[in-house]
Amino acid sequence: MRQLDTALGLGAVRGPLGRIIKIGLYALVVFVFAGPLLALLVSAFGRVTDPTKLSLIPHDLTLDNFRTAVDQGVLRYLANSLIVVGGGLLLQISVSVTAAYALARKSFPGVRLVLFLILSTMMLPEEILAIPLSLVLADVPVVHVNLVGTLAGMIVPVGAWAFAILVMTEFMRDVPIELEEAARLDGAGDLRIFWSVILPVCRPALGVLGIFGFTMIWDQYILPLLVAQDADQFTLALALRSLRADEQVGTGVLIASALLALLPSVVVFLALQRQFMRGLTSGAIKG
Amino acid sequence: MTGRGVLAMAVTAVVTAGCLVACGSDSPKTDPKAELQIWVRKPPGSSTEKTDQQLAAAFTAKTGVPAHVTALFDDFETKLQQAAAQKKLPDVVINDTDRLGGLVKQGLVRPVDRASLAGQADLTPASWQAATGADGKIYGVPFSAQSFALFIRKDWREKLGKPLPATWAEMDALATAFTTGDPDANGKPDTYGYVIPASTKRGYTSWYFASFLFSAGGDFLTGEPGKLTPAIDSPGSLAAAQEFQKQFCTDKSVVPGSVTAETTQAHPLFETGKGGIYLTGPYNMARFDKNLGKDKYEVVALPPGPGGKSVSLAEGENVYLMAGSANPSGQTRFAEYATSVEGQTLGMAGDTDGNVVRLPVNTKVDMATVRKDTRWQLFAGIYQNGARYAPVVPDWTPFRQASADTLNALVADCTSDPKAALGKLARTFTDELTKQGAGA
Amino acid sequence: MTATLAAPPARTQAARRGRRRRHLGAWLWLAPALLLFALFKFVPMARAISMSFHEVRPYLGDRWVGLDNYRAVLGDDAFRAAAGHTIVLALGETIGSIVVGLALALLLEGTARHLWFVRTAVFLPTVTAMAVVAALWRIIYHPAPDGALNSVLGWIGLGPGQFLDSPHTSLWSVMAVGIWRGAPYDMMIFIAGLAGVDRTLYEAAAADGAGPLRRLWHVAFPAMRPVFGIVVTLAAIRGLRVFTEIYLLTNGGPNGSTEVVMTLVYKLGLERNELGIASAGSMLLLLATVVLTVVAQSLRRRA
Repeated sequence: MRQLDTALGLGAVRGPLGRIIKIGLYALVVFVFAGPLLALLVSAFGRVTDPTKLSLIPHDLTLDNFRTAVDQGVLRYLANSLIVVGGGLLLQISVSVTAAYALARKSFPGVRLVLFLILSTMMLPEEILAIPLSLVLADVPVVHVNLVGTLAGMIVPVGAWAFAILVMTEFMRDVPIELEEAARLDGAGDLRIFWSVILPVCRPALGVLGIFGFTMIWDQYILPLLVAQDADQFTLALALRSLRADEQVGTGVLIASALLALLPSVVVFLALQRQFMRGLTSGAIKG
Repeated sequence: MTGRGVLAMAVTAVVTAGCLVACGSDSPKTDPKAELQIWVRKPPGSSTEKTDQQLAAAFTAKTGVPAHVTALFDDFETKLQQAAAQKKLPDVVINDTDRLGGLVKQGLVRPVDRASLAGQADLTPASWQAATGADGKIYGVPFSAQSFALFIRKDWREKLGKPLPATWAEMDALATAFTTGDPDANGKPDTYGYVIPASTKRGYTSWYFASFLFSAGGDFLTGEPGKLTPAIDSPGSLAAAQEFQKQFCTDKSVVPGSVTAETTQAHPLFETGKGGIYLTGPYNMARFDKNLGKDKYEVVALPPGPGGKSVSLAEGENVYLMAGSANPSGQTRFAEYATSVEGQTLGMAGDTDGNVVRLPVNTKVDMATVRKDTRWQLFAGIYQNGARYAPVVPDWTPFRQASADTLNALVADCTSDPKAALGKLARTFTDELTKQGAGA
Repeated sequence: MTATLAAPPARTQAARRGRRRRHLGAWLWLAPALLLFALFKFVPMARAISMSFHEVRPYLGDRWVGLDNYRAVLGDDAFRAAAGHTIVLALGETIGSIVVGLALALLLEGTARHLWFVRTAVFLPTVTAMAVVAALWRIIYHPAPDGALNSVLGWIGLGPGQFLDSPHTSLWSVMAVGIWRGAPYDMMIFIAGLAGVDRTLYEAAAADGAGPLRRLWHVAFPAMRPVFGIVVTLAAIRGLRVFTEIYLLTNGGPNGSTEVVMTLVYKLGLERNELGIASAGSMLLLLATVVLTVVAQSLRRRA
């Protein structure tokens, strides 16, 4: 029953009229969400960015903006960003799934309070926490380690992200209890259940986590700012803000750098999209 | 006294005592060879950062005191707050003159003993004034100065056969001609007169407006430091505000989008031919020469306003000697070097875009020998011709913000009455003066 | 407390021990997250709370000022307007992104190749740096008659609008940018939620003769209820502390028409280096968010 693969069953729409409407809708959303961005990104190849118009053809073709961007050290920032996002994402996903497992599949006193505390970490803007956080980074309580000036300082704090934990918790709650009970009857322990029952069923959510986590770490701004001791340790997001405020560097260089920053995100997005779609394992959902 | 008041006092006493002890014993042993940490508010990787690096290297070569330059830009203040919280301030900070009040208030800078500074008499009196706090003490060493001038599209003006404006009326007429006369001859009404960064961000509107305000015979505040009263509702100030509103609302000769434009968003409007008149600083010449062409625009002083004078806003940068340094003698020596003829010349970086000293503050520097581009002489002339710094108050930021908000509202809502708006602003100023203990 | 009671019967004691062990297990699973939160969120939050009662001066010693910082924020003329704008913006962006995000999710759900391409294109706004998004929308909104959006509006006989530059339209213009950037975000969560809906239920509904819309209403939406809950909560919190978009697009202008709580806090506190006032302002925001969340949760539970 292929036509019932999706909620609306759009895959089954046939006939010329249906197709035209469908393609028209696709074109519309691409035009609205990607069109303007592509038009702007194209201007990275032009000499001067017109501040009032978008055009799909760059004005006075040149690679100067990219050259300037590289001169400004964008490649080094890109490398820093990749290291941070690699380590940070690994840590964040591990921390999120284990925490979500406890919150979704275990009942214990205080679970509501813990959920609320986790939620509360999203309610204060980072700008406010910047200075207190910088004190923690310079001398982590209990262990007394100085994370300032190390890439680890940009990685460890992003490990716990309320958004990821809460989204994962909602998805894990949906896993039918029968699956878990059946595994328990087979003598599986918590770890086995977590690893071979819960996680595989949550693959779409893991895809979401991967993409959002990547974006979140990639866009981190305050944290790298506090950790970096000088420009050598800048991440790309940090450098982009500097470029934006730089009076001598035109918009073109900013856009060229942003284009470079965008590429890894798109690659990750393409790679992880597979997880969203019903894969081999999804047959297991709700038995 | 209430119980809570007593408690608060007790807490204050404990905290203060704690600090007195801790801060007292905290002061590190001084070491005249310790490496100086120098922070400059320049974009990392920029040519200005490179000039600062050269300056520090030359200083080290000359004095043997090692120095390390860190360039930070957009978030300079956040990083400085972080360093302060960690009690690890850099030894030297080179930053805007108008940051002085905030630095003093937080106790981040140490006073400078001007008399003991070698070569201090060579620096211009005006620049020393910009290094003076509201209490009359000196908290920085002048490093760079600048003034503002009108950048006008020469090709447009000549095409329409208009003279260089000598009055505000001529300037407005030129702006109107640029708006209606199709000076780029593309057959479309897509050009305008004024480019104005009228966003409230960092108080840009107020900053831009200041030169017009002074030239109209108006002012923000008047009186001696410590006994200031608002002058923003004076007739001269009102004339400037009315002129400002007229450009936006009556003449409609301002590039659309200006009401929310920051400086970085305003520059492209000039260099891509949207607007033809832009009051801005000399640092933009390198950029406009490259992106627009040196022959396409001319730089002239702002015509005299209703006050009969042409008075530019003055600003600049100071070398701040930060609190808690391990090398106070090194701090002083760096300040002396940076303001010496040699240091200033290095910082001016000839005619390149790497200049960190815009106009030298040292009177012994002969600008003509350092820079061949004569437009710099114009800015120097404007500066010497009575350009004025922002008033000396303990903290200028609230005043700048309040005036930026008021002016922005004036041009965003064309029905608003300048007189009433300025009257309200004057009351805000009075409150703020009282709060800061700087009022009459 | 239990220690003072007489020893309970052996069976319940064993049960309690077992329960306690299970509880311990749960805390172990949570430990890494809680540890990281404690160090990098709760410790700084505690410090921020204490800052809100002080005048913060690292080199001169903090000065206790009681509720003065709170008075400074609440007493500012712009505060009430900013609070109103914040609520309007949070509400509008939350509802807008969810409606648009859900529509996108339903349209773009599926495994076909071309959908991969369309989804990637739609997701671009979310992964593009905010600095560039702001630059882009300032161009789109350029209020000249030949501006990008005004040209499009011109084709259908509308405009020209002032968008960001008029106090009457600026808040809505900022909201549209928020929805444009937020909707693809929500779309992704919805798509993942839809992927978890049991396909056999669709078939059963189809067998009962239900059309696509009834299938959506009676099968897909009920299955996605928890996902809705979390998306609404997170989007609302995101909306309440909105800052960067406004800071980069209008900085609260023109004429204060887009001033929100955080931009005001930034002006009164951070820009003036008054960390105490900045903390007090955000504590008020935190308090409001907590109250709203608790109310919403209890309403949801009652429903």
